[in-house]
Amino acid sequence: MRDTVSNAGPMSARVTRRGRARRSAALTAALMLAPFLLAYLLFFIFPVLRAAQFSVTDSSLTETGRYIGPSNYVRLVQDPDFWSSLKNTGYFALLTVIPVTALGLLVAIAVNRLILARNFVQALFFLPYVLPVSVVTLLWQWILNSSFGIVHALTGSDVAWFNTVSTAMPTVAVVTIWWTVGFNMLLFLAGLQNIPKEVYEAASLDGAQGLGLFRFITWPLLWPVTTLLLTLQLISSLKIFAQVYILTAGGPFNSTRVVLEYMYDTAFQNLDAGYASAIAVAFFVVILLVSLLQAALLSRRA
Amino acid sequence: MTHTKTLIAMAALTLGAASAAPTKITFWNFLGGGDGARMKQLIDGYNGSQDKYRIEQTVLQWGVPFYTKVRTSTSVGQAPDLISFHLSRISGWAPANLLRPITGAELASVGLKQADFFPKLWNAANYQGKTYAVPLDTHPMVMYYNKDLAGKAGLLDASGNLKPITSIDAFTAALKAVKDKTGMAGLAFENGSPAYMPWRLWLAMIDQQGGKIVENNKIVSGEMGRKALQLMADWQKNGYMLKNPDYPTSVAQFTTGKAAFMLNGVWEVPTMVDGAKNKTVNFKYGVAPLPKFYGTQATWGDSHGFAIPNNARKPISKDHLAGVLDFVSYVQKNSLTWAAGGHIPAYQPVVNSAQYTALKPNSDYAKTAAANVAYDPAGWYSGAAGPLEAVSAKYFPAAIQGQLSVNKAISMFESEANRLMAGTPKP
Repeated sequence: MRDTVSNAGPMSARVTRRGRARRSAALTAALMLAPFLLAYLLFFIFPVLRAAQFSVTDSSLTETGRYIGPSNYVRLVQDPDFWSSLKNTGYFALLTVIPVTALGLLVAIAVNRLILARNFVQALFFLPYVLPVSVVTLLWQWILNSSFGIVHALTGSDVAWFNTVSTAMPTVAVVTIWWTVGFNMLLFLAGLQNIPKEVYEAASLDGAQGLGLFRFITWPLLWPVTTLLLTLQLISSLKIFAQVYILTAGGPFNSTRVVLEYMYDTAFQNLDAGYASAIAVAFFVVILLVSLLQAALLSRRA
Repeated sequence: MTHTKTLIAMAALTLGAASAAPTKITFWNFLGGGDGARMKQLIDGYNGSQDKYRIEQTVLQWGVPFYTKVRTSTSVGQAPDLISFHLSRISGWAPANLLRPITGAELASVGLKQADFFPKLWNAANYQGKTYAVPLDTHPMVMYYNKDLAGKAGLLDASGNLKPITSIDAFTAALKAVKDKTGMAGLAFENGSPAYMPWRLWLAMIDQQGGKIVENNKIVSGEMGRKALQLMADWQKNGYMLKNPDYPTSVAQFTTGKAAFMLNGVWEVPTMVDGAKNKTVNFKYGVAPLPKFYGTQATWGDSHGFAIPNNARKPISKDHLAGVLDFVSYVQKNSLTWAAGGHIPAYQPVVNSAQYTALKPNSDYAKTAAANVAYDPAGWYSGAAGPLEAVSAKYFPAAIQGQLSVNKAISMFESEANRLMAGTPKP
C-alpha cells in the first residue's frame, strides 16, 4: 500500500487501485494455499466424509454395499467388544497421559539445572523420540524377551511381558512413555527457559525458596505448556494403534485390543468396512468430546 | 497391389514383434527370507532361459497385508498378472470371483495335467469343478527331533533313528522321558499369544480322530476339541513344553538344544540344514512326519500355489496369460530348487525323481506328509492368517499358558468364531 500513500491521486482511482491490489493479494494467497488445500480436501476431508457415508452401508472392504440406515450404530451400541475396546483405550490413556507429562516435566527440570553437557543429556533423552515405532517396538521385544532378553538375563524373570494379561497393557504404556517422553521434555525445557530470571530473583527476595519457588513461580508460569501437552497427550494416547498392533496384536485374548485395533481387525481381517467405518466415526466423536471436556476443565483451572 | 501392401505390413509387424522387448509379466508374492531367495533364483532362471517373457516380481508382507492388497487391487483392476496364493483360501476367494479359473486346456498348452499333482493338493486348488490355482507345494506340520537328547532319553533305535511313536500317550510319555532323563524340555512349540501353531496341531488331532471342526458355519469340535487343547495345556503345566513369547523364540528354543522335539512346519528345514552347516546347530537332528496320535497320520498343512487375479473390467490378455502359464510350468519342472526350502513340491514327477530322494532330510517326511495333509475347514473365513485362525490364535495360547482354563478358552473361542461365521460372507 505504500504507493497509494505516496502517490496521492483522485479518490476514485485510489479505491480501484486498492481494490485491485487487495484482489491480487487474495489471489496470491489462494494460489499459495492451493497445494495444501487441495491435498487437505482430497486426502483428509474427502476420506472422512466417505467414511461417514460408508458407516451407514453394509460395505465390504472392496465393494460398496447398500444403504442400511443406522443399523451399524445400533449394533455398535450393543457390541460388548466395542465397549471393552473403549475401556482398554481408556486404561491406556490413564497409564500414559499424566505419567508421560509429569515425567517430561521432571526430566526438563533436571536437565535445566545441568551446566555441563546439558545439550548432550538433552539429546540423549530426546533420541528415542526420533526412532520410528517399528524400531522402538522391536528393541523392546528383544529387551523383554522372556527367554533371550536382557531383562531375563539380569533378573532371571521369565514373565512374558506382552503376553500376560496383567502386564501387557502397562508394558505397552512403559514403552510408549520411554519413546515419547523426550518430546514433552523439550517443550517443558523451552517453557522453563522462557521464565525470566528476574521473577525468580524477585520471589527469592520475598523469601520464597525450594519447593515454594516451584509452587508459586514455575508451576503457574508453565501452566500453558502443561495444558497444551496434556491435550496433545490425551489425543495421541486415545489414538494408540501401532504399538499395540506390533507388540500384542490386541492380545492376550483381546485384553489390549484398543478401539483402533478393533477397527483394523474389523476392516482388514473380517473385511467388514461398513461396520469399521461406524467404529471410526463413533470414535471420532468420542475423542472430540473428551478433548473438549478436558480443555474446558483445564482452562477453568487457569 | 493391395495384397502386396498387406504382405509388407504383415512382415513389418512380425519383424517388429520379434525384435520387441519381452512381454512383462507382473508377479506379486509374499515370499520372504529363504523362500524369497529361492523364488528369485527360479525367476532369474526363467528370465535367463528365454526372451519372450520377463517376470517382474514384487514381494509384499505375508498374511493379512498381502491378501488385503491383492483383494483391493483386483476389485479396481490394478492386480498383477500372477500371484502366490495359499490353497486354504480358495474356498473364500473363488466364490467371490477374485480369481480367474484356469482350464485344463490352458494347462495342457504348457505340458501340465491333473495327474502330475498330489490328489489332495489338486482338490484343494479346485472349487465347484473349476481350477483356481496351480499347486506349487505343500508345507505340512512335521516333527523335528534332537537326536542327542532323544538318545539320552532312550527314544532312538539301534540305527539312531526315532523309535515309532504310535499314540498320543506314547508321545506324552516321550516328552516326559526327555524331561526326567535329560533335564531339558520335551517340546518346543509356539504358544505365545497370538500363536497359530496350536490351531494347526489341534486341527491335526481332530482330523486324525475323524472329527469335524466346522459344520454349517458353526464350531462342532465339541469334546474332541476340548480334549485336544487340554492335552497341550497339560504338556505345558507338567513342564514338558517350554513357554515362549513368540514364534522366533519357539524355534530358537529347539535350535539351541533346549528341547528334544519341535512340532512346526517344514519351512524350518532350511534353518536346520543351514544351522548344521554353519555350526550354529550343535546337535544331530532328524525330521519325521507328524506321528499317528490317533486313527490316521493326518497333519495340518497348507499349500502355496499360483493364481491369476480376476482383474475387474480388465481380464488378463492372451499373451500375458501365455507368459504366466509358461513361467508356472517352468517353476513346476524346476521345483527341486523350491524343495530346498523344506516345502514338498506338488509336482509328483519331481518328488519321485532320484534327485529328490537324495535330498535329506526332505525325502524322510515328504511322501507320508504330502499324502496326509488336512486343510482348514472350507469357508470365506478360513485359511492362512484368515479370520477363523486369528480367533483361535487369541484363545488357544492363553489356555496353554494357563491364563485361561481350557473350558473357558474353548467357550470364548466358540462364541467368537460362531459370531464371525454367522456374519454375511464378505466378498
